[in-house]
Amino acid sequence: MNAEANGTSTRDASPEPLIEFRRVNYALDSGQRLLHDVNFSVARGETLVLLGRSGAGKTTALKLINRLLEPTAGEVLVEGRSTMEWNPIELRRHIGYVIQEIGLFPHFTVEKNVALVPHLEKWPEDRVGARVRELLTMVGLEPGKFAGRYPHELSGGQRQRVGVARALAADPAILLMDEPFGALDPLTRGEVLTEFQDLQDRLQKTVVVVTHHVGEALALGTHIGVMDGGKLEGIYSREEFLRASGPVTSAYVALLRMQERAEEEDL
Amino acid sequence: MSLLEFFLKQRQEILQSSIEHVWLVGMAMLLAVAIGVPLGVLVTRRPWLSRPILGGANVAETIPSLALFGFLLPVPWLGGRADRMAIAALTLYALLPIIRNTSAGISGVDRAVREAARGMGMTDWQILYRVELPLSLSTVLAGVRVATVLTIGIATIAAAVGAGGLGEFIFRGLAMVNNQLILAGAIPAALMALMADFLLSVLERRLRPVR
Amino acid sequence: MNRWRVVRWAGGALCCVAFVISCGAPRGDRIVVGSKNFSEQALLGEILAQHLEARTHLPVTRRFYLAGSYICQQAMLAGRIDTYVEYTGTALTAILHDPIESDAAAVFGRVQSEYRKKFGFEVMPSLGFNNTFAIVVRGEDARRLGLEKLSDAPRFPAEWRAGFGFEFMERPDGYAGLARTYDLHFGAPPRILDLGLLYRALLEKQVDLVAGNSTDGLLAARDLQILADDKHYFPPYEAVPVVRRDTLERHPEVRAAIAELGGKISDAEMQKMNYAVDGQRRDIADVAREFLHAKGLK
Repeated sequence: MNAEANGTSTRDASPEPLIEFRRVNYALDSGQRLLHDVNFSVARGETLVLLGRSGAGKTTALKLINRLLEPTAGEVLVEGRSTMEWNPIELRRHIGYVIQEIGLFPHFTVEKNVALVPHLEKWPEDRVGARVRELLTMVGLEPGKFAGRYPHELSGGQRQRVGVARALAADPAILLMDEPFGALDPLTRGEVLTEFQDLQDRLQKTVVVVTHHVGEALALGTHIGVMDGGKLEGIYSREEFLRASGPVTSAYVALLRMQERAEEEDL
Repeated sequence: MSLLEFFLKQRQEILQSSIEHVWLVGMAMLLAVAIGVPLGVLVTRRPWLSRPILGGANVAETIPSLALFGFLLPVPWLGGRADRMAIAALTLYALLPIIRNTSAGISGVDRAVREAARGMGMTDWQILYRVELPLSLSTVLAGVRVATVLTIGIATIAAAVGAGGLGEFIFRGLAMVNNQLILAGAIPAALMALMADFLLSVLERRLRPVR
Repeated sequence: MNRWRVVRWAGGALCCVAFVISCGAPRGDRIVVGSKNFSEQALLGEILAQHLEARTHLPVTRRFYLAGSYICQQAMLAGRIDTYVEYTGTALTAILHDPIESDAAAVFGRVQSEYRKKFGFEVMPSLGFNNTFAIVVRGEDARRLGLEKLSDAPRFPAEWRAGFGFEFMERPDGYAGLARTYDLHFGAPPRILDLGLLYRALLEKQVDLVAGNSTDGLLAARDLQILADDKHYFPPYEAVPVVRRDTLERHPEVRAAIAELGGKISDAEMQKMNYAVDGQRRDIADVAREFLHAKGLK
């Protein structure tokens, strides 16, 4: 992955990147610019975490990938094609999407929620059923117990897991997650985080995660993109991140050290 | 003759008038739902239309019902047949609660649910049909309920312009100064409104989404 | 999805109801007789109803006091009533929207042919009286001044005042045309009075000339004189039973029964019946029965 902003890191030539941002700009109708000349790419199997404070443009960047938003300048490429060339519905069904509030359909059972995209893609019923059971098991929810339940009968953590299962149902190559664990209490968050890491190891999806939580960023990402004020300050591997010198990045690293020290002192 | 005896003696006429009444109300409600629900959906898709559409329905609602019947008299195809005219006027009256509740119901759907639906690749129609409408069904039905009860009441005035229905008993009773006749129209109409209200609120409750 | 099932159920129930309604309540073999909302109309409706019951032995439903010609016309079109008594002049102007004429036969003919063509209604022969406008003065004045017809208008004392109802003042075939036709001049403009008060005002000498209806009950009971419309200004308002064609097709005996009533009620007889109901407060059904009995129709 190239970090053109700082031009410091090198990597072996990888197969064609799955997601690419080329000089992407996004501005609102009012003229306010949310993204300035953002460039990066994500290779297959990588997890890119976009880290930054609220309003830094992370969610905007995320939404440009599945064309919930369209760039005002520049191009976003997915699987080598510009998002503007893709049929937006097809693009979105190719990409798993998990949001902070999760947004499970309250009038669908867990099973129907997870089966959403397969149903939209008209999979045969038995294949759908098998896939739902597979996914629920994968996220740690016993199908027999949970398939027939409604979202309002689930805890926050359980709903979270259903949301992930739903996003993975059609086996998309790409997974987008916007502050996926933000609504959870710290204990649950810790559990779910660990489970997600296992899932990642197993599935090897290409993931882009948005978070403002530096610990989470390090836990989840193979690479971390630090954003501030609509600009990408830099993209780093885990090791590079801890040594980086950009102003916002350094601030995050300092914060991290402080948190670690606080935990040590508590213990 | 006691009121009960009077009702029993006139039961066939009362039944006939009740059926005329249900016909007027039923046709009007069908049209109002067929026109009002899509308009309510349109308002959520094009918010700038909310002022003209809701405003227009509001104006129709504000015109006194008898006056509205009168306005429609000179209209060529409508004015010739009183029941057609009554149905047109009643439809206009029923529109506002239906449009308003449809758009409120759909707007009231959790934004996260709508965003997740869109992000997962549902088309606008699919979101409307599979998510927004099912979740707002209860609210829409509340609007239908209000509109139905309203229409049953206003339909009694339709008799003043010759459309028949239970209002005819009321007007005849007024002209003859005969209370029993008045009640022969008023009581069935009131019962009809109560029953419609009850049945529709039962339906509404059954369709309410659990959070 | 559970909720769609509920909706489908409700929709199905609704369709059933709609189907039942559109079939309409079984009409059976009843004849429904309608009338407008004043006593003369209720009397005529009652006479029609009782006669039909006696002659055809069909059950008759009465739907009287419908609020006017338009309402009755709509009820006929929708089949809610089978017959009622209309006035030819009203039929011509208010329902057919044709310009008024004064030739009674021409009006009748036109109404009959148009009703047949446009609505499929049969206009039966007149019941015998003409409920048109009547210009009425006190009997004593008529005898004193030698007033018999409206052309005697020059003999009206200059200080005479007229009293008219609001509608008569407004109608094109009302006061305006009358004044022109007979060259009427009153010292002061006519007083506008409530219809119910016209005769009282006349009898109490608050006014000297009023426009009433030729079949008003009080005309039979008080010393009042109608001035004849010798120039035939007022259009004819002959009372004619109007029947739906398909009612006659279903029950051909109805035609004969109604035809029997043709020409049976004179102006004076209608006045007397109106007085019995309005003035003496007698029961309409009784008065109707007596009339039919007296005419040997029962």
